[in-house]
Amino acid sequence: MKRYSLFLGCQIPLRIASVEIAARKLFQKLDVELVDLKGYSCCPDPVVSRTMDRKMWLTLSARNLSLAEEIGLDLVTLCVGCYETLAEANAILKHEPETKKEIDEILSRFGRKYEGKVKVRHFVEVLFEDLGIGKIKEEVKKPLKLRAALHYGCHLFRSEEGEDIWRKSEMMKELVQATGAEVVDYGIERLCCGFPSMHADEEFSLKSRLLPKLREIDRAKADCVVVVCPACTIQFESGQVLLRRYGFKYNLPCIYLSELLALASGIPSAELSLDFHRSPVLQLARRLE
Amino acid sequence: MGLLQKEVFSRRGINTVTEIEIVKYLQKKLKEDVINYSVPQERREYIRIKPAALIKAVKALSEKYHPRFMTISAVDHGIDMELLYHFDVDGNVVTLQTTFSKEMNEIDTITDLMRAAEFIEREINDLFGVKFRNHPKPERLILPRDWPPENRPLRKPHEGAIPPSARLPVETLISTGCLTTMSSYVKRRREKAGLPPSPPAVCADEEWLPEFQKIMKQTNFDKKAGYDWKKKKLRYR
Repeated sequence: MKRYSLFLGCQIPLRIASVEIAARKLFQKLDVELVDLKGYSCCPDPVVSRTMDRKMWLTLSARNLSLAEEIGLDLVTLCVGCYETLAEANAILKHEPETKKEIDEILSRFGRKYEGKVKVRHFVEVLFEDLGIGKIKEEVKKPLKLRAALHYGCHLFRSEEGEDIWRKSEMMKELVQATGAEVVDYGIERLCCGFPSMHADEEFSLKSRLLPKLREIDRAKADCVVVVCPACTIQFESGQVLLRRYGFKYNLPCIYLSELLALASGIPSAELSLDFHRSPVLQLARRLE
Repeated sequence: MGLLQKEVFSRRGINTVTEIEIVKYLQKKLKEDVINYSVPQERREYIRIKPAALIKAVKALSEKYHPRFMTISAVDHGIDMELLYHFDVDGNVVTLQTTFSKEMNEIDTITDLMRAAEFIEREINDLFGVKFRNHPKPERLILPRDWPPENRPLRKPHEGAIPPSARLPVETLISTGCLTTMSSYVKRRREKAGLPPSPPAVCADEEWLPEFQKIMKQTNFDKKAGYDWKKKKLRYR
């Protein structure tokens, strides 16, 4: 049985718990043990916190990594934002000895240390690389008859130096295809959903980022958009509500990859609490059953 | 001071004082009221002091070195105001720096000790709205008498580094350890779904919170963000 420490982050357990429920049930089915990381904090977020204060950002990341190191397990995240923060902080701590010394000194005041032994994995990597697409296909008990548009999310393209930036997004695509869903191309898959720019300019974020995506996904006749980031989920779901103010009406279900895989593996929608979503994901799931 | 310059001064009988002597003297006199200091170049000293120690510092400097008062610079940092008092001590430019919150917005006048500070303090009051306690002539200097008191030309809005829409998440992060809070509805729903009511995170467990908040303080993120620990809020939200 494979074992990982589970880094849940903030948004998933506190706002869209259906993503966590689906992931836990799915990994259990796949014979993977997820060990909760006790005492973790916000990763912290790779946009505002990191821009404001690199030292704080690195210290909290190192503290979170040290919790995984304490229990001797690699760390898996369900959120690409947490993935970016923790993976990049991990790389910085490996490649910048002076910075690491400074961060070590702060951690030592709390009796903590981080030796850099933890690997940070996004759950897409764990499913595709560690378990293998064959195993995922074996678990698909109810192939899904739907047309799925993919929104990878900007942070999924963050990669280590020299790595193919499409690696994780290709994995995501193959995982969605493994459920039986047809992946539709809509041409602007890589465009940001606009979540970070909501902080600066709501109208720009909604009309110049989210709206073009919704328009093209609608034109491609997709039944839903599949995501791997809670911030993108919030943007797709709340954004559709906010866009009504500007006269644009969309009702596109925004489903998380863990939920899609859980449904395909035969877990009933009633067990997934899909009504945590603000878009019609529950209705979509019921239609598929 | 270069060796040659020192030699020339010494032959002319000019009493010279080194940067470090001034710093050490003020440290001895003010003790913990000196926050830090820097000597970025020869004959240039910056000594950061607590605002309550300003009079004590100017007095100490005057008693020993009889400095020439040069001027005061004011810097509006959004949530805090910084004043830099520049003095000439034997060819050294000594700057006493002090920062206070814009909520407080006042500091003692130094005009009793440095008469020449009267005009610049009035100018700073005109342009930035800083009040100088016990100023002998707290009147307008530059602005017309009927200029509205709430509108100071160089005073910035009372805002910190966090943009408006990120303030709630940053405030929540510092006070709880997570970017968002959990509603009782989500707690109930989690339990119903067979999950623990809260995740095992700092925000859900009092045991971990003190460590997290100490990190916020030790990395100075709380100060950068302008967080008020008593009110558990950003000072400008």
